[in-house]
Amino acid sequence: MSVNLGYVGSPMSGRPDPGRRRILAMAGIVCAALLVIVCQLWYLQVLEGGRFQEASDKNRTRVRPIAAPRGILFDRHGLPLVDNRPAFTLSLIPRELERDPVARDATLGRLASLLQIPFAELQEAVARIPPDSILPVRVRRGLSMEDVARVEEWKLELPGVIVEVEPQRAYPTSRFAAHLLGYVREANEEQLRQGRYRRGDMVGQSGLERLLDEFLRGKDGGERIEVDAMGRQIRLIQSTEPHPGAQVVTTVDRRIQEAAERAMEGLAGSVVVMDPRNGDVLAMVSTPAFEIDRFTGTIDRSAWLRVIQDPDHPLLNRTIQSQYAPGSVFKIVVAAAGLQEGTLAPTDSTHCTGEFHLGQWTFKDWKEGGHGSVDLLDAMRHSCNVFFYEKGLKIGGPVIAKYASAFGFGAPTRIDLPGEKLGLIPHPKLRRDRRVGGGWHAGETVNMSIGQGAVLVTPMQVARFMSAVANGGVLWKPRLVQRVERADKGAVWSDGGSVTGHVELSPMVWAFLRQSLWAAVNEGGTGAAARIPGLDIAGKTGTAQMIAKSRADRGQDHAWFASFAPARAPEVVVVVLVERGGKGGQVAAPIARKIFNAIFLEKVASLDIDG
Amino acid sequence: MVGIDRRLLQNVDWPLLGATVGLVILSASTLATLSVGRAGGGVALRQLAWFGVGTLALLVIASIDYRRLVRVAPLLYVIGLGALVAVFAFGRTVSGARRWLLVGPVSVQPSELFKICFVLTAVWLVTSRWAQPMGRAVLVLAAPLVIVPMALIIKQPDLGTALLLPPLLVALLVAAGMRLRLLGGLVLAGLAAAPLAWLVLLKEYQRERILVFLDPLRDPLGSAYNVIQAKIAIGSGQLLGKGVAGATQSRLSFLPERHTDFIFAVFAETWGFVGCLVLLACYALLLLRGFDIAASTREPVGRLVALGVTCVVAIQVLVNVGMVTGLLPVVGIPLPLMSYGGSSMVVSMMALGLLLSVRMRQFQ
Repeated sequence: MSVNLGYVGSPMSGRPDPGRRRILAMAGIVCAALLVIVCQLWYLQVLEGGRFQEASDKNRTRVRPIAAPRGILFDRHGLPLVDNRPAFTLSLIPRELERDPVARDATLGRLASLLQIPFAELQEAVARIPPDSILPVRVRRGLSMEDVARVEEWKLELPGVIVEVEPQRAYPTSRFAAHLLGYVREANEEQLRQGRYRRGDMVGQSGLERLLDEFLRGKDGGERIEVDAMGRQIRLIQSTEPHPGAQVVTTVDRRIQEAAERAMEGLAGSVVVMDPRNGDVLAMVSTPAFEIDRFTGTIDRSAWLRVIQDPDHPLLNRTIQSQYAPGSVFKIVVAAAGLQEGTLAPTDSTHCTGEFHLGQWTFKDWKEGGHGSVDLLDAMRHSCNVFFYEKGLKIGGPVIAKYASAFGFGAPTRIDLPGEKLGLIPHPKLRRDRRVGGGWHAGETVNMSIGQGAVLVTPMQVARFMSAVANGGVLWKPRLVQRVERADKGAVWSDGGSVTGHVELSPMVWAFLRQSLWAAVNEGGTGAAARIPGLDIAGKTGTAQMIAKSRADRGQDHAWFASFAPARAPEVVVVVLVERGGKGGQVAAPIARKIFNAIFLEKVASLDIDG
Repeated sequence: MVGIDRRLLQNVDWPLLGATVGLVILSASTLATLSVGRAGGGVALRQLAWFGVGTLALLVIASIDYRRLVRVAPLLYVIGLGALVAVFAFGRTVSGARRWLLVGPVSVQPSELFKICFVLTAVWLVTSRWAQPMGRAVLVLAAPLVIVPMALIIKQPDLGTALLLPPLLVALLVAAGMRLRLLGGLVLAGLAAAPLAWLVLLKEYQRERILVFLDPLRDPLGSAYNVIQAKIAIGSGQLLGKGVAGATQSRLSFLPERHTDFIFAVFAETWGFVGCLVLLACYALLLLRGFDIAASTREPVGRLVALGVTCVVAIQVLVNVGMVTGLLPVVGIPLPLMSYGGSSMVVSMMALGLLLSVRMRQFQ
C-alpha cells in the first residue's frame, strides 16, 4: 500500500493515533450496551422473576388440531364411492395429565372402566408419548355416542382426557369396491420412520387411497386456545383453517360395480368391466373382499390375523394380482394368428373324435366322443379342442406366442394400482437351451392352442385383450382415475387415457372373430347362458384346468367368460372369472349375463320411465 | 502465498478461539434440549456439522492474506449482489420470506454471506485512492454501495440483515477518520429518508412489528405474542434457571422460532440469570478481542477489516438479545454462533477467520 493515507493508522509509531481512540470508544459503547442488557435481565429474571414464574405456570394454552377432511372419490356420474362422517376419538393431552404417577394411573383406571378398554392399552399409550406435549395424542378411534356421553359426564375426574371430533371414512356397504378404493389407516411404524407423516395421521394403505394419498390427504388446520384449570376455553388465540383433500373423479360406474359385486356374491374370483372405446374401467371386483370399514377404525389383532390367514386371501386383488391359465378364451388368439398368417382358413374343417394323438401322447377334448365334423366357426362356437390342437400345431407355437404378446399378454397393463402381475407367454428363446435339439416342443404348442400349459394371464389383461378384439386392435391402458380436482385450484391431475399398442389384423379377420364370438352366445354355443334377447352379446367361454397338486384340487377348474356388447358397436367388455367354479359356460356366463342385464336393460328401463 | 510460516502461528488469538468454542458448545447443548419439528434432536448435530464447515472456512480465510481479499472485494461484491438478485428469481420461500438459494443439497442464505462481501468492499472503498482525503466525495461513492443491497434485502424481506449495513458503514467511516460533523449530516439524511422507506420498502407486518414495539398493547395476541412469551420464558428462569427438565416454556410450543432467533430465551429459561452472565461474558470476550485487534493494528486495511467484522458480530448480538429481552422491536436477526442455521454459522466463522488473519499479520 504505497498510497499515502495520511490520517489513518500512520505506520510511524509514536505519533498520536486518533483512529485507535475512536475504535476504543466504540468498544466502550458496545460494553455499555451489554451492561444495559444485563440490567434488563436482572430486572426480568431477578426482580420480576417470581411474577413471570407464575405466568409460566398459568400458561395453559392448548393446541386443538382440526383434521382436514379426506378427499372424496366419485364415480363417473358424480356419485360418491366413499364419504366422510364425523367420528369421535379419545385423546390424551400429556401436559394436562396428572404429574404424580399414582394419580395418573387412577385417572387411566377410571377411564378404562368407563369405556371398558384394557388398562394396559392406556398405560402403553401414555408411555409412548412425550410427557410435556400440549398436542393431544389419539388413543382410540371410533367411540360410540354412549362412550362420549360417559367421558363428558366424568370430565372433571378425568384431567387431560378429551374427546375430539374428526372426519372418518364411510362406505356404502362394508366390502364395497374394497380392492379398488383400498383402506385407510393410521400411519404405521415404517411410514412414520420415513418422516412424511405424524403419529395418528390417516394414510391410504392400498388401492386408490394409497396411490392418490398425497392429493386426498389435505392439510390439517388447528387452533391455539387458552383454557382455564377446568379445561374450558377462555379465548381463541390463533386459528388456521384446514384445507380439505382433493376430490377424485374415477372412471368407475357405481351402479355397475354394485351389480357386479352382487353377481359374484359367495364366489371367489373377479370381474372386470371396461369400456373398449377408451379403456375406462367401469367396474373392478375381486372376491372375497375384506371388510373395508373395519380396517379403518381400530382393528384388533385377532381380526387382522383372521384376514391375513384366510385361505381365500381376501386382501389379494385378483383382477391384477392373480394369474390363471386362460383356457379356451385363448382360442381367439390362435384363430387370429392362423387367419392373419394364412395358415388357417374359415373353411378348414376337421373330424373331432374326442381325442388327438401326437406321438405317444393323447390329448382329450372336453366333450366325450367329440364334436364330429367341425369348421372354424363351429370350433369357436362349441370350443372344440381337437380342432385347435390340430390347427395350432400347423400355425406353430412361436407364431401363436407372437400374437399373444401383440395382444398384450405377458406384459403389464400399466393400470394405476401397485402390485400388478405380468402373466406369462412361453417364448421360443426361453425353451431353446432347455430342450435337446432346440426348438419348441410340439406338445407345448398343442397345450397352448387351448390356453393351457405354461400360459398365464390376469383378468385385467383379458379385459384389455377383449377390448382390442371389440375395437379393432387398440390396446388401451386401463384408466381408473379421470382427474383430481382441488376446490381452489381446479384440476391438479388428469389422465386423458393412453394407447399402449396396436394389433394389426385384416378387417376380414376382425369381422370373423366378432361373428364367431356372437355365434358362441347366440347360436347355441358354449356361451348360450349369457344370451339376452334383444342385446347382441359376443363372448367366449373358458375352463382353465388347475394343475392338480392334491386330490381335492382335481376337477375344480376355473371358469372364464370374456365378452362384449353390443356385438356390432361394442360399448362394454365384461370379463368374469370364477375360481374353482367349474365350466365357464355354466358358471361364468350367467354372471356376465346378470351384469349385462344391469348395464343395458336397467338403463333402458330407467330411460323409459324418464321419457 | 497460502503457506503459513511459523511467525504467523505464534500470533494466533487463543482467547478469541476459546470464546468461540465455548459459545458453540452452549449452542449445541441448548439445541439438543429442544425437539424441533420432525427432525428432533438432529438439529444439534447439524449445528455441530455446520461448525465443522465453518472451521474449515475459518482456516482457509485465516491462511490467506486479507489484503489479497480486499483487493478482489469489488468482484465479491458483484457476485454477492448477483446472488441477492438470484434469490428473487430462483429463491426458496420459507414461511413467506424468499431468502434461500438451493445449492445442491443445502440451502444458502445469500444475505448472510453478503455481510462479509460488504465489509471487504467498504474497506476497499474507504482505503482507496478516491477516498482521500476523507470528505463528501466518499459519502457520494458509499451511498449506492449500501442502498442497492439494502433495498434488495428488505424486499426479501429480511429487515434485520438490511438494517445492519448502514451502522456498519458508519463505524468504518468513523474509524477511518471521517469528520464527525459530516457523519452527523449523513445520519440526519438517513433519518429523513426513513419515512420514505417506511412507506415504500417495509411490508405490512414489519410496520406492525415496529408499531407494536412502541405500543405493546396494540395487539396482545398477534405480533406481541412472541415478545410476551419470550419475556415469560426469560423471566421465569429467575436467578439459577429451571434446568433442562423444567424449562416448559421453551420445550412446549409457546415460544416461536425457538431454535433460531429466540434461542436466547430458551437458554435464559434453562440456565437463569447466572447462565446469561456466562453467555454474555463469552460474547464480551470475543468482541473486546476483536476491538483490541482493530485498535492495535496500525496497518489501515487490516484495522478496518478487523473493525468491520467485529461490528458485524457486535450489532447482531446486541440487536438479537435486545429484541428477545424486549428492549428493541422484533426484527429477524440471528444470534451469531448460537442460533441454528448453516449460513449464519459459516459467516460468523468467516468473520473470525478474518480477525485471526489480521492478528497473525499484525507485526509483519
